[in-house]
Amino acid sequence: MDPLLSGGIGLSEILIVLLKVVVAFAGLMVGVMAMVWFERKLVADMQNRIGPNRAGPFGILQTLADGIKLFFKEDLQPERSDPFVFKLAPYLALVPAFLVFTVIPIAGNFSDGQDGVVTLFGHETLMQVADPQMGILFVLAMSSVAVYGVMLAGWSSGSKYPLLGSVRASAQMVSYEAALGLSVATVLLFAGTLSTNGIVASQAGWRWNIWMTLLVPFVVFVIAATAELNRPPFDLVEAEQELVGGFHTEYSSIRFALFFLAEFMNTVTMSAVIVTLFLGGPSGPIPSGAPGWVQDFLLPLIYFFAKLLVFLFVFVWFRATLPRFRYDQLMDLGWKFLIPLALGWFLILTAIKVARDQGWNPVVAGAVAALAVVVGGLLLRSSIRAAEDKDFDAVDPADLDGAGA
Amino acid sequence: MGQYLPIFALLVLAALFAAISFVASRLLNPPRPTPAKVSPYECGIVDQTEPPERFPVRFFLIAMIFIVFDIEIIFFYPFTLVYAELGGFGLVAIAIFSAAVFESFLYLISNGALDWGPAKRLRRSRLASMPARTTRSTIRRVGTEGREVPAGEAA
Amino acid sequence: MSLLAAASATTTFDVPANVVFAVLAVGMVTAAIRVVTTKNIVHAALWLVVVLGGNGIVYLLLQAEFVAMTQFLVYLGAIIVLFLFGIMLTRAPLGRSDDLDNNQRPLGVLVGVVLLAVVGFSLARQWGRDTLSFAAYQGGGAAGGNGRTQALANSIFGEYLIPFEVVSVLLLAALIGAIVLARRD
Repeated sequence: MDPLLSGGIGLSEILIVLLKVVVAFAGLMVGVMAMVWFERKLVADMQNRIGPNRAGPFGILQTLADGIKLFFKEDLQPERSDPFVFKLAPYLALVPAFLVFTVIPIAGNFSDGQDGVVTLFGHETLMQVADPQMGILFVLAMSSVAVYGVMLAGWSSGSKYPLLGSVRASAQMVSYEAALGLSVATVLLFAGTLSTNGIVASQAGWRWNIWMTLLVPFVVFVIAATAELNRPPFDLVEAEQELVGGFHTEYSSIRFALFFLAEFMNTVTMSAVIVTLFLGGPSGPIPSGAPGWVQDFLLPLIYFFAKLLVFLFVFVWFRATLPRFRYDQLMDLGWKFLIPLALGWFLILTAIKVARDQGWNPVVAGAVAALAVVVGGLLLRSSIRAAEDKDFDAVDPADLDGAGA
Repeated sequence: MGQYLPIFALLVLAALFAAISFVASRLLNPPRPTPAKVSPYECGIVDQTEPPERFPVRFFLIAMIFIVFDIEIIFFYPFTLVYAELGGFGLVAIAIFSAAVFESFLYLISNGALDWGPAKRLRRSRLASMPARTTRSTIRRVGTEGREVPAGEAA
Repeated sequence: MSLLAAASATTTFDVPANVVFAVLAVGMVTAAIRVVTTKNIVHAALWLVVVLGGNGIVYLLLQAEFVAMTQFLVYLGAIIVLFLFGIMLTRAPLGRSDDLDNNQRPLGVLVGVVLLAVVGFSLARQWGRDTLSFAAYQGGGAAGGNGRTQALANSIFGEYLIPFEVVSVLLLAALIGAIVLARRD
């Protein structure tokens, strides 16, 4: 809960809220521009190219130039499209992308059991736009609303490639959302709260969830997040060889720009969510003798952006390194590996935590839970085999055999 | 509810930004549609067929199993808030629930509802490991009738 | 809404919340009518999104944040997506379809009226003239703001444990139904 909004709300509170909102908006826009440039430059470096280098120093203004160019492009609407939904879809993609960032704490002192409350213009508040109780559920809810933008954009275009791309994309996004949600549940076991501020506060003193949850949920989350973002190697949505441009093939001009913006904004916010959940957000070592503004703003901001940059780099690195998945491989990875793994890990950790609280032997409890999970895994394996054999039995071997004899 | 006020403010700001961008783009370059511009993209050729209206039923099953897992996750979250107080009782409750949900997942998988494409089946199928099946027996040679079989291949 | 909460701490009538609710209610009713009158089946699903989303915001107004987020996550994120997939795997034509109507209107009206009567009666019976004190919910509990969600969790894993476990069986039944419908071979 943000202490700013817990009591009565007067003019000064509203002004602070508006200031935060505007700063978050501007920061996100600048961040997205920087991210697009960063990605293009980095991929260029990794592929031994030069990349953008004309607009501004090191080509840093390239994104701005591209954005301005898109304003001057013609905004076309295909004749077979559904006019209203076609216009609505970019909004549905962009707005959730903005909203997720509101619950990310970007600064504040979390060391020594402090809760990250800072003083801004004489009012106590948190360094995040909003801190609803259900912070992390809000993130998941917004990422499920984002499916609509993709799905409706493809359907309303009245064209083949967008439609195929959007059906693929929405199935992919809902698949990996389950893995995402399950690995978040493991984090919540250690946080004991759903508020993002509370999750960060619970990781103070190097009790970062990445090792508290023994790494597996983190790995699951990063893979699922990459798929949720439709980024390489999971970018089947816009597999150029098969689908031209994917769900936004028919979009041009500023509508295309909004989809593009939403895509990169989601990359930035998803990295920020990973940092919040697993790497302690803005927390880090803070010398107690430092002045207040260093403790509350400067150092936490530096920590947060350093961690954020690591994940932005990793996402670009994935793109430059890994070849694209095939659709059946993608679905198999999500459903038959990540989701059961995240579920099993959640149960094992729950058993260990409960055993600790109850004074049982945590090793024994963990071993029993692990055994149960392994049995579940074996059952899953035999189910997969059964499905393959069943489908095989449907084919008469005589039809396949002897064709060349 | 007050906690959601900033989120609503940002929502309004984001929607305004998108709307103003549309208007600006319209003013800077008003659309001048021609039949070629507004026809569906088809890599340059004239579109012959309508877009498909039907999709494989697997997508529906994906959405269905997603609902099941979504509901499971929704129950996990409040559980993480109170599991310390519930102790062993809560552990058993959540284990039974997970097992029941996992069972429906297994049912779906064993029905082959989450299998895509034939490649994997063939890789693991008994056909692939049958000794009688070789590249010579399965690949039909077109156009070899009446030709001399090279001496090396006759073996 | 706590805009005027400090001023209205003693009353049970929260003006901003009621204004927001009134606007929402009008929007939701309009959207609900459009669900059944629109001639495009995908549009009908989208109007349903408006209704269900508005429902979520009503939960937020009632300070039931967890229920609200569940509404967004499950109904908007999963069930409507299922509807849209369902529509797309049968047919989802662009433009108007004229065969969306059938001759069951009287039955529909009857079901609607009966549902309204049941819900209205049970609400009146359960709460009658009770009033909800918005001011009492401000601040949301002392311990880290988890108060209400924790209470909800305690009742799920306490009083309502059996329904909670039965939900999983219900889900299994739904899945079997889907498989039977999907694989008619």
